[in-house]
Amino acid sequence: MAVKGHLFDIQSFSVHDGPGCRTSVFLTGCPLQCAWCANPESWVVSKHLMYAENLCKWDKGCRACRDACPSGSIRFDGDGRHRLTRETCLDCRTFDCVASCPNSVLKQCVKDYTVDELVSILRRDFNNWGPDGGVTFTGGDPLVQHGFLLEVLERCRVLQIHTAIETSACVSRDIFLGVMPYVDFAFIDVKHMDRDRHREGTGVANDLILSNIAALRASDWGGRLVLRQPTIGGFNDDEANALQVIDFMNTHGLYEINLLTFHPLGETKWNQLGKDYAYTSGRGNVAPGALERLQQLYLKHNIACYIGENTPF
Amino acid sequence: MNSNVISLEDVLKRRGIPLADVVDAQEYKIPEAKESTQRLMEVYYNLKATADMEVPYWYNRTWWENEGDVTIVRRAKAMAACLSHITPTILPYEKLVMNKTKNVRGAFPFPWVCASFFNAQAEALMNEVDAPAESEADSVSVVGNGGGNVTQSYGSVISIAKKFGMRKEEIPVLVKTSRPWDGCSIEDLSAKYAALTPGFDQEQRIMDAVICMFDSWAIPQGREVINYYMPLEYGFDRIIELCEEKIAEVMGEAGDDGILGMSRGYYYVAMKEITQGLSAWCENYAKQAGYLASIETDAALRANYQKIAEVMANVAHKKPASFWEAIQMTLCCHLGVVNEDPQSGLSIGRLGQILQPYYEKDIADGVMDDEQIIELLELYRIKISCIECFASAGVSGGVLSGNTFNNLSLGGQSYDGLTAVTPLEYLIVEAGMRNKTPQPTLSVLYDEKTPEDFLMKAASCTKLGLGYPAWMNNQTGMNFMLRHYGPEGMDLHDARAWCLGGCLESAPGCFLPLHYNGKVTMIPGGASPTCGTGVHFIGLPKVLELVLTNGQDKRTGKQVYPAHNRTFASYEEMVDQWEKYVELTTDVVNKVNNVQMDIWRTKNPPIVNSLLKPDCFAKGRDIGMMGSRYNATINFESCGTITYINSLASIKKNVYDEKTFSLEEMADALVHNFGFETAYQTGVFSPDVRTGTPDSPKFEKIFAACVNAPKYGNADAYVDSILKDYHYYLYEMLPNYKSYYGKPLYLCQISVSTHGPQGFVTLATADGRLAGTTYSDGSLSAAAGSDKNGIYAIFESATVYDHSMHQNAQMNLKLHPTAIRGLNGTRKLLDIVRAYMRKGGFHVQFNIVDSNELRQAQAKPEAYRDLMVRVAGFTQYWCEIGKPIQDEVIYRTEYDA
Repeated sequence: MAVKGHLFDIQSFSVHDGPGCRTSVFLTGCPLQCAWCANPESWVVSKHLMYAENLCKWDKGCRACRDACPSGSIRFDGDGRHRLTRETCLDCRTFDCVASCPNSVLKQCVKDYTVDELVSILRRDFNNWGPDGGVTFTGGDPLVQHGFLLEVLERCRVLQIHTAIETSACVSRDIFLGVMPYVDFAFIDVKHMDRDRHREGTGVANDLILSNIAALRASDWGGRLVLRQPTIGGFNDDEANALQVIDFMNTHGLYEINLLTFHPLGETKWNQLGKDYAYTSGRGNVAPGALERLQQLYLKHNIACYIGENTPF
Repeated sequence: MNSNVISLEDVLKRRGIPLADVVDAQEYKIPEAKESTQRLMEVYYNLKATADMEVPYWYNRTWWENEGDVTIVRRAKAMAACLSHITPTILPYEKLVMNKTKNVRGAFPFPWVCASFFNAQAEALMNEVDAPAESEADSVSVVGNGGGNVTQSYGSVISIAKKFGMRKEEIPVLVKTSRPWDGCSIEDLSAKYAALTPGFDQEQRIMDAVICMFDSWAIPQGREVINYYMPLEYGFDRIIELCEEKIAEVMGEAGDDGILGMSRGYYYVAMKEITQGLSAWCENYAKQAGYLASIETDAALRANYQKIAEVMANVAHKKPASFWEAIQMTLCCHLGVVNEDPQSGLSIGRLGQILQPYYEKDIADGVMDDEQIIELLELYRIKISCIECFASAGVSGGVLSGNTFNNLSLGGQSYDGLTAVTPLEYLIVEAGMRNKTPQPTLSVLYDEKTPEDFLMKAASCTKLGLGYPAWMNNQTGMNFMLRHYGPEGMDLHDARAWCLGGCLESAPGCFLPLHYNGKVTMIPGGASPTCGTGVHFIGLPKVLELVLTNGQDKRTGKQVYPAHNRTFASYEEMVDQWEKYVELTTDVVNKVNNVQMDIWRTKNPPIVNSLLKPDCFAKGRDIGMMGSRYNATINFESCGTITYINSLASIKKNVYDEKTFSLEEMADALVHNFGFETAYQTGVFSPDVRTGTPDSPKFEKIFAACVNAPKYGNADAYVDSILKDYHYYLYEMLPNYKSYYGKPLYLCQISVSTHGPQGFVTLATADGRLAGTTYSDGSLSAAAGSDKNGIYAIFESATVYDHSMHQNAQMNLKLHPTAIRGLNGTRKLLDIVRAYMRKGGFHVQFNIVDSNELRQAQAKPEAYRDLMVRVAGFTQYWCEIGKPIQDEVIYRTEYDA
């Protein structure tokens, strides 16, 4: 059977994830579990359900989804609120509840695509990108589904589609170096240079990530590599960390980094997945001017540092 | 600046990293508008749309004095008398002068076109005059609302059509002027003869049900492109001589057909009269400027008045000899035409190509520099924004949202088939960026030959979120021209001269040789009568509703169409009945329309416009007598296309393919508004507000099935194929009906603002839209919130048929400002425009605005006086558009990155 990819979104006219106008393909699965993650629905690889409580008309007596659910996972008991038993819901294959809802409250997260299906969408979008654009594989971390990814990348090479990836590089060396030759442009996240701090924030140490980057630079890979750092207040917005990043970049001949501003937009998604979000009420915000100061630090070390969408591509 | 600060650009340079786009590298700081512009905009923001009786008085007086004369001459004399008696008003700091009326933001009623409204209201109006004035506090409170609209009476001002204020002392003149037209206005006469058309009763039922939005006679001209060639090439004095020569040549000559021969002579007599009127109008401004100069103490202002006096004296007689005189001349002609009929959508055309020879000479001679030219272009924007249309409330509010669509087109191809972009066009865009006004709206005729830096300049203007320029596909436009006007002799040269009339009405044109500055330049201009005035806005979803209700309007209880008494065993049978109703509608409305427009063209022929439009002067025939080069211009306008298509998809899937519900169950759900309270009950017309009733659970399942049915805009062949079938059907059906010019009808797809009122009268639809809420806007915009696969998927859905089959296609996209922020944002905006153009998309326009800001503006309009949005084919001040359309714009799907 043909391998299928598990995608939680395909976004067209994606303009901040690589050169030109692009289509971003969001694959599920991630080796990291960052506490500030903006796409927590990517952590579960298979299909699952999101529930937007603010749109739900339970108070108007709507019970459409309960009647549609084959496993009895949706109840409206007690005060009449919508209650989802995620344990049983996760085994669902039909997602009949989604189609039963007139208010777009329920959303099936993750759809499966064959390589052919995804490539046909990319070929269609190829008409729209313009000369600089292409496809960006992101997630999650697209390298988790490396088998599927590699097949799609090989097809892109034949079609002469420009490819970009956004990855943590937190996978085995073989997989990483096996995929990258098919990638023209890469963002690799370096969330912290300190091993323990990295583990605190993301759940894993950074050794594999840093050594993979070093190995990539040592290979004959001819693509463009831009480091990315989601800048989280109180976690990695300090100069000491930046100086270590600079040191690492200089050692490995890297000279582009993109600092992203933290935003708490992931919060609603955490809630829709029934999870608690730690970065509420201003936690994680970066002080005004802090990013600009970090940028100056990088520029002084002759490293092109871009803030947010102000990139030269 | 701190010398220790290192710039990113330096590091990029050192590292050899290319900056894809230098235009945005330093975000272009738009210079402030000129002082004159700022002062006059301040005046503009405080002006109220004002109606006065000066023009109607002189028209009436002269018309009746010449009772018995040949109609076209009599009308020319009346029009000339109007123009030559308008009190010239010149504001300090103005450089370009002339207004429609003595008021800067003025208009006037046309009782000879429509008197019934005023005659019916005569008593009520006179009572208002006699009523004591309101307290000052009351009168002040009204002024803040609605921008320049006078929505209710206050102080000594009486609101007319909820749009214009008229001073109390003028009301008796209005009443007296209107009375003689009782029974012989265009409205009354056309009603008398329209009643004789077969199917007239049917037509009346259709109009009452608002299936068709309005009668054509209400705005008989416009939705066309003006032509400035004659006065630019000859000047008024020479045109008068030409008239005399022509009279000497043709008067008394029978001609070939024995009918039109002598009418040529009358035509030239009329043209001489109107040219003298135009000349005198300019002369009056010259005199007034001279007078103001004589009493002005400020040296700079005095010099300015002297310059105006000089320009106006020249324009009154000679052909223009400078850029200033040339643009002033075009303004004079434009105002002359809009003063001869209730009118909207008289488009300027490709002004930057027409005036380029004058610009080139002035720059070469050192007479003016670019900044001075930009100042005139900024001031020009104010002049065009002041053009108001006096029509009934339904027309000005419901259809036009107060805009008069004086569209200015840029780009396209020249006579020689090269890019037509001129250096002056860059300055026109620049002036539009510096002085942000709703008019003239700008449209780029996108062609692969258009210079990239011009496209980038235009995209950086679009990016400002003003709604302009909109983007048109030049090749699609040319193909449409050749396809549709080929039978009238349209060749490749003329096809290249097309541009937009009105907001989106692709209009035929031609090139004519302008002799200036020692050379000949082929300048483009309009070459047809109105490209609208056909069957005006058929609410497609409403017709489908009546198919499901056996022809009865459940909202009013009236039987609109003959009951079909069919049960539809198949989807195709149901669509067949819809087609039968649409054809019946087209037939009866077209016949009535033909009578109305024939009465207009014979009794009230265009005068100024018949001087300007090629080839009227060459043939000696006015526009009504088919003097224009191209006449197959009259169209059929649709409204609610995507609401209709999505409804069909839902019925096809839920009723016929999957058989989840019966058609009766579907109709029952729609009649009961899916169990929700209707907008009529709640007063809230926003598409996303739903209030349940005890009935709601009963319709829960069918409502979810309708909402979740396939929707246009997702690259889903299930629904897109329905759209394609629909287009081929109309393409083949419409030419069976002939306009008053004896030419085939064709499809025009602009909703303007009619998706508001026509949505208002339509019950819930099978796509899940609730009763009374707006239809989807445009013809190819996805229904709000239903496009879930992104912009590229919409483009895919939109281009399942060849757009050059019809006059236009309309796509509105709303982008969140962040989507195109950043160093390469302009490039990326252009990329998306180009993506759609490459697929043959005919038109795309953008609202680049944050919905949250719009909501704040709705709550506090006074704080957002200058906020503008793109509605359908035009830009308008947020505070001057009606709430249902505001809600619709807020609710459109917003794309961020």
